[in-house]
Amino acid sequence: MDYLGKYKSAVAARSTCSEVLAGSQDGGIVTSMFIYALEEGIIDGAIVAGQGEKPWQPKPIVATSVEELLSSRGTRYNVCPNMSVLKESVRKYGLDKVGIVGTPCQIQALRKAQLYPVGLRDVCDKIALAMGIFCMENFSYQSMTQIVQDHCNVDLHSLKKTDIGKGKYWAYTNRGAVSQIPLKLTHKYEQPGCHVCLDYVANLADISTGSVGSPDGWSTVFIRNNNGENIWNKAVAAGIFETKPIESVKPGLELVTKLATEKITKNQKELEHRATFGVGKGLRNPYI
Amino acid sequence: MSKVVEVSPTTRHEGHSKLVLKVNDAGIIERGDWLSITPVRGIEKLCVGKSMHQAPKISSRVCGICPIAHTLAGVGAMEASIGCEIPQDAYLLRTILQCANRLHSHALHNILTLPDMYIPGTDTKINPFTPEEPVRTVAKRIQRLREIGQTVGEIVGGEAIHPGNPRVGGMYYNISPQAKQKIFDLAKEGVSLSIAQMDFMISVLKNWENRGTVTVGKTEVEIPEKFGWHDQGYMAVDPVFDSSSLDFEPRWDPDRWTDVSPYNWYQGEMEVSLEDADYPVGGTTKAGTKTWPQMQACTSVPLYDGCPVEVGPRARLVQFKNYDRKGAMGLQIARQMEYPDCLYTMIEACDALDCNGSVLADEIPQGDGSLGWNANEAPRGCDVHLARVKEGKVQEYTLLVPTTWNFPTCSRALEGAPWQLAEVIMRAYDPCVSCATHMLVVDESKKIVTQKLVQ
Repeated sequence: MDYLGKYKSAVAARSTCSEVLAGSQDGGIVTSMFIYALEEGIIDGAIVAGQGEKPWQPKPIVATSVEELLSSRGTRYNVCPNMSVLKESVRKYGLDKVGIVGTPCQIQALRKAQLYPVGLRDVCDKIALAMGIFCMENFSYQSMTQIVQDHCNVDLHSLKKTDIGKGKYWAYTNRGAVSQIPLKLTHKYEQPGCHVCLDYVANLADISTGSVGSPDGWSTVFIRNNNGENIWNKAVAAGIFETKPIESVKPGLELVTKLATEKITKNQKELEHRATFGVGKGLRNPYI
Repeated sequence: MSKVVEVSPTTRHEGHSKLVLKVNDAGIIERGDWLSITPVRGIEKLCVGKSMHQAPKISSRVCGICPIAHTLAGVGAMEASIGCEIPQDAYLLRTILQCANRLHSHALHNILTLPDMYIPGTDTKINPFTPEEPVRTVAKRIQRLREIGQTVGEIVGGEAIHPGNPRVGGMYYNISPQAKQKIFDLAKEGVSLSIAQMDFMISVLKNWENRGTVTVGKTEVEIPEKFGWHDQGYMAVDPVFDSSSLDFEPRWDPDRWTDVSPYNWYQGEMEVSLEDADYPVGGTTKAGTKTWPQMQACTSVPLYDGCPVEVGPRARLVQFKNYDRKGAMGLQIARQMEYPDCLYTMIEACDALDCNGSVLADEIPQGDGSLGWNANEAPRGCDVHLARVKEGKVQEYTLLVPTTWNFPTCSRALEGAPWQLAEVIMRAYDPCVSCATHMLVVDESKKIVTQKLVQ
């Protein structure tokens, strides 16, 4: 099985903009890319995870300015239904060239919508750039609150950053304290839907990115198709990103492949289990 | 001795209709009946008992060409019944939506009209689909005008076909400043295109009128001097948008409206006695076929002050701008003259729109069952929706759509024209038959007629 999907090239990269890096999760790839695309007219707005009503709750927004993009930096490790504002971005906001960032499942939904645009008349031809992010699993807002407040013992209001890495869930506070809990404690809070997902690195995006495989502060980037390659090359030429060959960094693609294999193998087992689960009937496999 | 000729179905318009014409020996129409043969769909009955929010969405499904007009008239009728005033910004958004609908519909009708017309100075009929100039430029201009109308409709209405944004009490969302700017830019582009298109169409239409003779199938036919004239009155409520029973001075009066059943209006059973196999497309109905207009017509016949009236572009121009050109081409020219107004109104409404303003009324009453109506000036004329809403549920819903008003008026206008040109007169009314075909009768005496038709 092809665990990393098709891609034209893979690099380790980091934004050159210190303002982006100050609040980004890793290399600031998505934020910098959208800011560049917005300023160059490649997109005229992007669907990103903005600030919701509650602390650390994301809310899908249509960002049409650099300020809005900057305020949406960082990962919040809970669900943000970006696809839900896709139609609104073309209608209410009147965008002609839409950028969208999404987890692998959201990018799958996007591509499916482009193939079968039911209820999305004149929307799907306006997708100019689809950025995918690596995703092992996701949490609901309540789960995330539980993990941070109860397990990590950190109040959401003083939370500065959350991260998943090195087998642990990390919570950093504004005062400099760090909490870490073993990742396995969080497993029971995962969305059940994530357990049948067979995509780790957003195989269907134009460009997909995530921290795994690159050193701290850098991101691994897969450039997957011609559209992604065109935009990426222009951005690199414009000095938006500094890049290193993926072979030259540790731990490199080896770790990405390992984690992707783990996720997909585990979830395939879950799929097989669900096929026989229940009273005389299996649960539906979303991939067939 | 008069003969009977039947053109069925008529072509190049929305829906299914037919012409049953009594003609004299010279082929001149003595009495014409133009009737809808689209089966009744019962939209009004479907809406009864539904929530007031649902009914306008259902009624917009009547047709895909002017769903915007039906949605706005439906929503307006509900608001009139419950007595709900909408915020100014919602009104402006609806005005933009209305103009977008009219722009795209008029442009679409150009494509349906042009095959009857000639390239001025030649004997070549216009094929709007030819890749050759000068027609290609015109076709592209028409499509661009339609695209502008549909795009604006999408932004403001949420969907160009069956818009979801208008709701009872205002609109679901206001548009963003960028979207407003986009509409503004599109309208600016449309202004120059529409003026060019208007000039082109008017010169083509006047050229046709002054030709003297035209060819239909293999027959050379003379155009009479008073081609498509009628002596009926006009009914229009607004140059652009609407009037409702909530207005300080309502410009439509339900008491002046009466209904006649088609059984009492159209001709009785007859046999077709004249046929022309070369008539486009596919010839007329074969001689010997039975035809029975009074039983086959699927509309009721609405009258205003006891007479059929004309609604549509000319009615609006006559009532509000002192227009006085008669005949089928007079109506066509009036339609072209409405082009720039759509875009200028769009620009004015954009200017006045506050993107941060509220577009939903603070309070939406649930209704006490009183009658409310909204008359919307749809592209084809006055589209009146009447409704009674009680406790949020629709008790009664009636649609009096433009082409229903025009059926009897156009039938009168056919008289005196050669039968081969009857379709040209009919097309001048830009018929949209499917929405005109669900006149389910409401009061007891007329129910019997409905049953008679169903049998």
